[in-house]
Amino acid sequence: MRYLLRRTVHALFLVLGVSILAFLFTALAPGNYFDEMRLNPQISPEAVAALRAQYELDRPLPLRYLSWMNSVLHGQMGYSFAYNSPVAPILFARARNTLLLTITATLIAWAIALPLGIWSAERFGRLPDRLLTWATAALLIVPDLALTLGLLVLAVRTGWFPTGGMTSLDFGSLPPGGKLRDLALHMTLPVVALVLSALPLLIRHVRAAVAEVLDAPFMLAAKGHGIPRRTLLYHYALRAAANPLISLFGFSIGALLSGSLLIEVVMSWPGLGPLLLESILSRDLYVVIGGVLLSTLFLVSGNFLADILLYWADPRIRTESGVR
Amino acid sequence: MSAPRTFVKWLVTLGSLHAIVVCAGFFTPYDPIEQDRKNPYFPPMRLHLVDEQGRLHLRPFVYALKLRAGTFDQYEPDTSQSVPVKFFKSGARYRLLGFVPSRIHLFGSEGTRICLLGTDAYGRDQFSRLLYGGQISLLAGILGAGCTLSIGLCVGAAAGYFGGWRDNALMRAAEVFLALPWLYLLFALRAFLPLSVSPLKAFFLIVAVIGAVGWARPARLVRGVVLSAKERDFVRAARGFGASDFYLLRRHILPETSSVLLTQAAILIPQFVLAEMTLSFLGLGVPEPTPSWGNLLSSLQQYSVLVSYWWMYIPAMAMVPFFLGYLGLASSLQERLEPYKIERRIPGGLA
Amino acid sequence: MKSEESIADQDARPILKVASLAKRYTKRSLGGRREELFALNGIDFSILPGTTLAVVGESGSGKSTLALCVACLERPTSGSIWFENRDVVTLAENERREIRPQIQLVFQDPANSLNPRWNALQILIEPFVLQKTIKNGERKERAFSLLERVGLSSQIAGRLPSELSGGQRQRLAIARALTLEPKLLILDEALSALDCSVQAQIANLLMELQSSLGMTYLFITHDLAMAAQLADEIAVMSRGRIVEHGSAEEVLREPKHESTRHLLAAVPRIPRTPSSVIG
Repeated sequence: MRYLLRRTVHALFLVLGVSILAFLFTALAPGNYFDEMRLNPQISPEAVAALRAQYELDRPLPLRYLSWMNSVLHGQMGYSFAYNSPVAPILFARARNTLLLTITATLIAWAIALPLGIWSAERFGRLPDRLLTWATAALLIVPDLALTLGLLVLAVRTGWFPTGGMTSLDFGSLPPGGKLRDLALHMTLPVVALVLSALPLLIRHVRAAVAEVLDAPFMLAAKGHGIPRRTLLYHYALRAAANPLISLFGFSIGALLSGSLLIEVVMSWPGLGPLLLESILSRDLYVVIGGVLLSTLFLVSGNFLADILLYWADPRIRTESGVR
Repeated sequence: MSAPRTFVKWLVTLGSLHAIVVCAGFFTPYDPIEQDRKNPYFPPMRLHLVDEQGRLHLRPFVYALKLRAGTFDQYEPDTSQSVPVKFFKSGARYRLLGFVPSRIHLFGSEGTRICLLGTDAYGRDQFSRLLYGGQISLLAGILGAGCTLSIGLCVGAAAGYFGGWRDNALMRAAEVFLALPWLYLLFALRAFLPLSVSPLKAFFLIVAVIGAVGWARPARLVRGVVLSAKERDFVRAARGFGASDFYLLRRHILPETSSVLLTQAAILIPQFVLAEMTLSFLGLGVPEPTPSWGNLLSSLQQYSVLVSYWWMYIPAMAMVPFFLGYLGLASSLQERLEPYKIERRIPGGLA
Repeated sequence: MKSEESIADQDARPILKVASLAKRYTKRSLGGRREELFALNGIDFSILPGTTLAVVGESGSGKSTLALCVACLERPTSGSIWFENRDVVTLAENERREIRPQIQLVFQDPANSLNPRWNALQILIEPFVLQKTIKNGERKERAFSLLERVGLSSQIAGRLPSELSGGQRQRLAIARALTLEPKLLILDEALSALDCSVQAQIANLLMELQSSLGMTYLFITHDLAMAAQLADEIAVMSRGRIVEHGSAEEVLREPKHESTRHLLAAVPRIPRTPSSVIG
């Protein structure tokens, strides 16, 4: 129990630290949203000043941080200059789109990587394993950017898939089945890009973790007892290899919001990525901080989830930490 | 093949690839920023040895391009004009390795230009831009990695050697940095610095930004090595001879970190090159007209380019042989230094 | 066993006096619980110059901690260590740095105590470099004469520790310890990692060095038999305390404490007459 408490405190501390860092950093950066406005001769300096006061840009930094923290705890996350509306709804709407993509991709990637990794570990060092290792290496060395752009070129030249966006222009007038199909078509390329970029490392890690376990003496003993192969693999080996895999899984969860930035931007998927890029470029302070905070929250929660799962799954951690 | 020999093999391969990029002036026929607006978006010219009539030529040649009938931007080979490839041709001035002035290029042609990878919107030869762009991108990656590893070394050594509250504070800071999404941090950091600067300034800005973002993981690794090295008896013995902390770190402890640093370098450099590519692709990196692998791809953001000018995609794959080289190097380094672990540490962003 | 006569030229004042020495370690376990461990729990002894005191104990009794504290490489939690009438514990760091060269430590495992990347010459010269006592030109000469002193040929000067045998390595470690002409030499299980025959050779070397250089030894070991051979006095340590102290003869003939008896029993005894075994 103590262990969990410590991990919770730790996670909270991290989120707090990140929020301070992000706030400090965006607020201290040269240039802000209203510089552009100031240059515009049509807007009077008084109007700019009034807007600045409205957004509290002239108050000292620690106070701004505290009032922002206050609003976060109340569920809002500040105000967006560019969109002229509260930040939270914008963020959450975009985050929903991102999650649609990343959750699908993560599920698919794990569904492929686990069996493949185990299959490869079983045949460690032999030809099928070596072929797979080569294939994953080949995928690994192709940079994400190249992969994504390549898929886009493919889409354009074959015309099988739409080349961007989340929905077609006539989405609203489609029947429900048609809507689903349209969404699925638009999702295919980004999801494929995400899965292809995540697969090589996943497979490698699963393979390494399972291979190390398969080598262990207790597996040999279990085999000698005549336990069937299926049980051996999934019941014994996988459980023993769980530790690094759970950490990996935590990391996958953590990357749900942040891992698809590039792909979203390149494929014009209306997720958190393009929003963040655009608000960074236009210095829309609170959107940036809100976005960074949200994705950090996911990262930290992912690790935290992994810690909890580890605690539950690995009896060694329980005994080490509390009862003596 | 034994571990040391694979290592050498990868080193040599990687070294040759880098050498080609470093000597871009020699290997490319034209100046990378030389424009030719009358010939935008030429497709790649293929090298031929056998011509239309089936005759074998000893000297490879390309066909000049002519506009395809009925289009205004599609070109096709003009088989009536063959342009022979001349080797070791004198051409535009450049400086080999930055200081040796020369005019000799590996290949070139008279009159019509040979564009092995086609041209872009301004008629600039993509092949030349590719190699010159490699200089920028690779250098950014290498310098960035150097930056990160230096910071990581200092922080990790300080934390591991001095321990106590300093260790705690530094490691907590590292955790906060590790908790931030890497790419976001990179963009934010870059975008919050002045956006329109000269190419040179932009370059150093990117290097500094990339370097400042990734120090946490190397710092942790260095700290681990320093912690265990600190307890070795030869360090104690040196203290018994009156060694100062600085001497111990410099002569006994830090040399132990060399293997970790080397392996991390092989892992980080490709990641950082990719970071530069991403930044430049989105317009946050090296600006025009200086080529870099990233900004060579930025035209692909336009739909028309995607549809009609597929050869603009080629720079995206330029990184691949380098990635392969670095991956192989990292693997063989790990094998060499820790042969008893089954691929425990795998290159990439994961723990 | 050393004869009483070789404890000649003794100054009535001890060269080293340790009083109420204590060292506490706190460990923090994963659950946040703190554990306190007293490695040294009130140690008192003194050594007369030119003699050998053996501190004998099982593993875990705190012997290595004692070695580190006396060598000024660890700070004790409380107590005092008097070296030539100065209490080392109360000195400032720079003063302690002056004293350290006079108390040298030979470690148990030369594989760990010699930098594996340096060759023998570099290892020997290092103390000169650090102390800046001898001029650059003379350093190599000194190093070679030290090699000779400990019975190593000058050919090993360019070799790495991995290219030397166990006995050679330990000789090198001893040579290194002698470079700054220390007055007190602490041998922390210095013979334990060596083969039997090599042990005897190194032991002889140590005895010879002591008589010719007049050094004082603090000999730490778990082997009572070895202590008996080399030491004038024996102190038995158990769980951070000294439980028995006396001349070598006394301790062996009439062991008073249970730990001593334990250690005595651990010494393998070979029957005097082989015939009683074979015949």
